[in-house]
Amino acid sequence: MSAVLFLLAFVSILTIVALGGMFSEKSGTVALSLEGCMTFGAFNAGMVMYVLPNSVPAGISALIVILVAIVSAGLYSLLLAVACVTFKANQTLVGTALNILATALAVVLIKQVTRTEALPLGNSRLSFMRFYEIFNVNFFGMQGVSFNWLIIIALVLVPIVYVVIYKTRFGLRLSSCGENPSSADSLGINVNKTRYIGIIISGALAGFGGLFLITMNSEWEFANGATGFGYLALAVLIFGQWKPLYILLGALIFSGFKTLSVFYSSINFLNNLGISSYFYLALPYVVCLIVLIFTSKKNVGPKALGEPYDKGKR
Amino acid sequence: MNKIKSFFSSLIKKDSTKTVVTSLWCALLGLILGFFILLVINPSNAAYGMSSVLGNYLIFSNPGDRLNYFGQTLAKTAPLIAMSLSILVSYKAGLFNLGASGQYSIAVLVICFLGVGANWPWYVVMIIAMIAAAIWSAITGLLKAFFNVNEVISGIMLNWIALYLVNGLLSNSSSVWDGAHSESIMITSEYNSFIPSIGLDKLFAGNSIVGLGMILILIVVIIIFILLKKTTVGYELKATGLNSDAARYAGISKVKSILIATAISGALAGLSASLSLQNGFTSWRLSSVPPEIGFQGISSAFLGGLHPIGVIFSSYFIMHITEGGSMITDLGFSPETASIMTSVIIYLSGFVFFIKEAMRKFEIKSELNKLSRNKENKV
Repeated sequence: MSAVLFLLAFVSILTIVALGGMFSEKSGTVALSLEGCMTFGAFNAGMVMYVLPNSVPAGISALIVILVAIVSAGLYSLLLAVACVTFKANQTLVGTALNILATALAVVLIKQVTRTEALPLGNSRLSFMRFYEIFNVNFFGMQGVSFNWLIIIALVLVPIVYVVIYKTRFGLRLSSCGENPSSADSLGINVNKTRYIGIIISGALAGFGGLFLITMNSEWEFANGATGFGYLALAVLIFGQWKPLYILLGALIFSGFKTLSVFYSSINFLNNLGISSYFYLALPYVVCLIVLIFTSKKNVGPKALGEPYDKGKR
Repeated sequence: MNKIKSFFSSLIKKDSTKTVVTSLWCALLGLILGFFILLVINPSNAAYGMSSVLGNYLIFSNPGDRLNYFGQTLAKTAPLIAMSLSILVSYKAGLFNLGASGQYSIAVLVICFLGVGANWPWYVVMIIAMIAAAIWSAITGLLKAFFNVNEVISGIMLNWIALYLVNGLLSNSSSVWDGAHSESIMITSEYNSFIPSIGLDKLFAGNSIVGLGMILILIVVIIIFILLKKTTVGYELKATGLNSDAARYAGISKVKSILIATAISGALAGLSASLSLQNGFTSWRLSSVPPEIGFQGISSAFLGGLHPIGVIFSSYFIMHITEGGSMITDLGFSPETASIMTSVIIYLSGFVFFIKEAMRKFEIKSELNKLSRNKENKV
């Protein structure tokens, strides 16, 4: 049972972050900074969890933490928007910079607050037992099976994102900016503004994913950032071919192998094979690479992905 | 007088000068932001902390210590130069090598087994490590050339696969693994696989990690410079990078260019591993994220204006502040502060194109103004 819930949590994290990335990529900006946005959102939420006094009621503090994760990561992604949309910077370069910056900032500032007499250099690990208990509840009263209720929020967001992308005016405009920005512009759509909005939504959802990720544990080592989840989400987005349902499917496959790497030792048959645990850890990435081989041949991504919009070229 | 003036004005108009100016500007802004962060953390020590970061070995009063640490910074710059060249070569061919960390890891695997376990001569280990990393990197190239897989994504996936592969294989073989410290056994000067110092250590107060590696990397820089500037292969790589369709019409094989570029950049990432492990200042530690140097290479490649010679200076600069950063722990700052500065610098190097463009526009404008003024005078 706990393996199933684990799988479900993984699927929802990957799906929600990949869907976030979709907003950015659909509008034409590569979402490489998902990892950084996850880390930054998780870091800010972690800080709030660390300093928030116990006297604040559980419900209100949970709400504050969720909002902090979303808003801070959304603001962080503004750095990407300013550089890549307004100043037409190289998107891969800036994305990489933001990923490194988020981890470095988190480590430096967390070490600062965790500093004590006995530990003069501080620690890049934050623990938040109280919030672990707030976010993880017993699954329908079953003892020993904890359930992170952020799953529900993530699963509610999936159909909402689907509707926003395909059924609303905003979603269609967003896609047009990533497919053919010149004609979008000629129809009176503000390409740069739309891209800004896409990037900010992507950062906000990644921040939520980051919070979700760290609250699956009662403490988090921030030196590892979001342990590569942002990159995984980007891979899921690509082999999900920028379509919400395929993304869900991709996240499911990937999470299946990820769950296997955690629970393989409790399956007798697999445990008896005597294969190193590192093999199971690497397996999801190998599978992802193989799936990419079969799905990349046809280029189905947004046509103007990665290209800054230049009015002069219209 | 006029001659000097025209010399300077032509110097300013040169593209390379613009690159240098904008890179310096990025570095300066990065440092200022870093100082600001130090101020926020601990205002009373910030000025001294910043001077340690900038001064690095200069903060020692004893000349022997100074030389020793100067040598250490120089020796640690060599692998970073190799890594920057790795990023640079693939970038020239239109590819972003985010898989450099994985290529580095695979080279580490080879170095540990052949260098520590078998204790082969250093040059044999170095060459095999480079070949292994080149093959690993060529996987990205193959996937890109034949299956159209985005090289950024496959590079990232291969980073993680390499990480777990190396973690698993090294930690399970006792001949190369130091279980007590959970890291691979360090290569010291007693090993055949240690890159010899050829007497250079005496120049740096007996610091044995300074040696042939530094000279080797300068030779490699020159080779890459010539390769990109003067050879057909280099021309084909750059043509593919600038416009792959146009290159194809000119009869340049895209598949060949991609494979060559990925293989060379992989070999350079492997060289980077060789210059760090076989010089005895790092080993492989169990980690849950790919090695950081692959990403540091991106910062120095771009800060160096994507030029093989520029990369020497930018790598030194980044290593200088990273090493300086490791000295401020006593003042109550964490060494990662330097990493904040470098990431800010990479972020700002994204604006280089825009700034250069702005400079060009400004020049044209002033040129036009001059012309119209001349006209008025004649009238």
